[in-house]
Amino acid sequence: MTQDARVQDFVASFEALRAEVEKVIVGHREIINHVLIGMFAGGHVLLEGVPGLGKTLLIKTLAEGLELSFSRIQFTPDLMPADIIGTNIIVEDADGRKHFQFQQGPIFAHILLADEINRATPKTQSALLEGMQESAVTVGGVSRPLPGPFFVLATQNPIEMEGTYPLPEAQLDRFLFKLRVQYPALEELNAIIDRTTQAHPVTVDRVMSGARVMAFRELIREVPIAAHVRDLASTVIMATHPAWERSPEVARRFIRYGASPRGAQALVLGAKVRALAEGRFNVSMDDLRALAAPALRHRIILNFEGEAEGIDIDVLIAQIVASAEAATVQDKEPFLR
Amino acid sequence: MAHPETLDRLVRRVAAQVRRRRIEHYALRGAFWGSLVAVLALLFKQPLGGWALVVAGGALAVGTLGGALWGAMRRTPTADAARLADRAWQLEDRVATALEWAERPDRTPMVDALVADTVARVEQLEARMAARRVIPADGRLLPIPLALALALVLTPALPLPSGRLPDFSASGSEDPIEPHADATLMEDRAKPLAKDKLKSPAFEERDFATRAGGSGGAMAGDLSAIFKDTNLSSQRPDFQSFLKKGDDRLKLLEQADRLPDLQSDFTASQYKMVYRKSKSLTSGLRPDQISPQKLKELLEEMERLGRKGGANWQGDAAEGMEAMEGGQTDRAMEAMQRALDKMRAQDEASRSGKNLKGGRESNRGGLGRDRRGGDGGGPEDQDFGEGEGLLPGKGRSGAPKGEATGRLRASPYDVGVEGESRRGRKEGYDTNLTGKGGQMGSRLQYLGVIGQYRKMMEDAIARESVPRDFHSQIKDYFQALDER
Repeated sequence: MTQDARVQDFVASFEALRAEVEKVIVGHREIINHVLIGMFAGGHVLLEGVPGLGKTLLIKTLAEGLELSFSRIQFTPDLMPADIIGTNIIVEDADGRKHFQFQQGPIFAHILLADEINRATPKTQSALLEGMQESAVTVGGVSRPLPGPFFVLATQNPIEMEGTYPLPEAQLDRFLFKLRVQYPALEELNAIIDRTTQAHPVTVDRVMSGARVMAFRELIREVPIAAHVRDLASTVIMATHPAWERSPEVARRFIRYGASPRGAQALVLGAKVRALAEGRFNVSMDDLRALAAPALRHRIILNFEGEAEGIDIDVLIAQIVASAEAATVQDKEPFLR
Repeated sequence: MAHPETLDRLVRRVAAQVRRRRIEHYALRGAFWGSLVAVLALLFKQPLGGWALVVAGGALAVGTLGGALWGAMRRTPTADAARLADRAWQLEDRVATALEWAERPDRTPMVDALVADTVARVEQLEARMAARRVIPADGRLLPIPLALALALVLTPALPLPSGRLPDFSASGSEDPIEPHADATLMEDRAKPLAKDKLKSPAFEERDFATRAGGSGGAMAGDLSAIFKDTNLSSQRPDFQSFLKKGDDRLKLLEQADRLPDLQSDFTASQYKMVYRKSKSLTSGLRPDQISPQKLKELLEEMERLGRKGGANWQGDAAEGMEAMEGGQTDRAMEAMQRALDKMRAQDEASRSGKNLKGGRESNRGGLGRDRRGGDGGGPEDQDFGEGEGLLPGKGRSGAPKGEATGRLRASPYDVGVEGESRRGRKEGYDTNLTGKGGQMGSRLQYLGVIGQYRKMMEDAIARESVPRDFHSQIKDYFQALDER
């Protein structure tokens, strides 16, 4: 299979999977795209939105469209790490001898839906850390690999913050993207009503296997990126740091901590998936612009002034990207330089 | 792998377009500055003559060609041209990425696909300018100097001002110089003319009046009133006004007693100076240990001061000197002490005569004047007799311990002033920073006078009827001031 054919196969699979999800989910095309990009990039995605917007349904539908195992954990304050990872239990064999046997937790699935992740205690939240980063968990001194592909989709509610445990920055950094699920438009709401209240339920076909997902993940890493595009990604990440000498004024004023190098990896990897999904063999600056907000919005911590002034982190990121483009002299006529 | 020759051709084409735009850009800039030089040359068309047009045209041509040459010489990097091509044809960074990765050894099969895809897209591109024209700011202003230069070419030469200053001399207007006149003759004629013209008839009249000794105001040509206190008075001597000013100052000097004594330092009066010397002379020493020479010098100085001011301690000082000559140091010391007391009394009386307000001396002076029917004041109007001073039990006051200050109550049980001192630690220097006085700057050098005031305080505590309870408080106050 030629490279071109592989790319075309990826584009077709991507489109097919998106079409299956869109059978159930009305609107949210950008959210669906970003969820798929996150999955093919090998990362995990955090979805944030008020209740009833279809976050859980989106993930369930995605799992149905893939020939992958799926498990869901509803996070509650009394949830324990063993409830996620699993535990050793005493079992009796045929000879009557008792021994410990590992009982896998719900984390042992290809697609894990961590619903309302911020309602569990930090101890339980951190049980996901190793699995998300290493694709393996350690129980009783034994490291047990998670099935591949392993894809965590977590949801959290920005309101009803009472009794919640906001995710620490270290755990937020594990998520490739943080997506904001917005309220649907009027036409989308009408379509939701029509589609979800009819007599015939929608069935989602399985269009992709886990092995193909893993193959596509390898293909994505072959996508080349030009030096000036990579420089733009690095400059954007550096510009989120208020201490950097070339960071823009908005960053100096409103940001306490900037994005980590993991943010740069997320930005470039996501850009590669987006390029390939559009049938392109290279990363463009448009890819970086499109994915800067989902890749960086949970990695930038505003300072008190930024919080007090109600700074929209997405607007802030857009300004940082614009200033980074100006700083790397991407938008000037070459003969004026 | 598809050879990126197509991409190279595209980049070269774009680079050529960039060079063309650069030539336009810098030629416009050069033309603007060259046209400015041309305008300057045409302004001097009169002195330059026919050369003005040549210089103007040359400057314009050199500026334009120089700018164009500069633009043509600048190189366009391949990466820049590739990015420009990507932007111009919406190729989404394909050309730049393909050209960069085609040369890399770590290229992946995806790069080959990229190059092939990019080449295919480039071959379908329609030829058009990738580099847009950018007109420089000074290039937009080019029509202005060009129009100006054209106007200067078409109009006659502008008359330029000559380098010579205009001739305002009377000889120049009234007596034109003959072209064939002799130089010596011209010098002889010019000197007296210049001299005469400088002096106006009015000045002649005024000088005559001054020499005649007449009153300035009556004379018609007197300009003293005009010149008085004006800049002209300093430029032109006016003897009449000078005399008038002298008379005014003499009148002022005759009324010296009415002048405010702004320069006198009350903290450094004669009494204090001599008192300080006597203290340093006698401090901690018995009369037999005092240096006779220094005591004699001090008495001489006191005698001299008394003789100069016509004061009443002159006799005591003279007596002390006689005692010193006789070797009677004790007697000399007593005489010196009497003289010091008189000096102090006179000093305080003179201070009260200056109508200083706020001090106990002014109150005392006022009382004294009241007792005498309100007459007096000044050095001659003393409250105390010779050698009495202000010591308790002396003077004319009927009270056995001297006159009570206004702050004390009549009852002997009242040993404090009105009000109560606040509780807690008291820092006297805080009083300098509060109230109305705190807003005013000090008029005395703090360090220079604090020692003097402290000695005065000690004397006052010893002499006056200050309640005993306040002694330590007053001393602490001055101690706090001293520590600052």
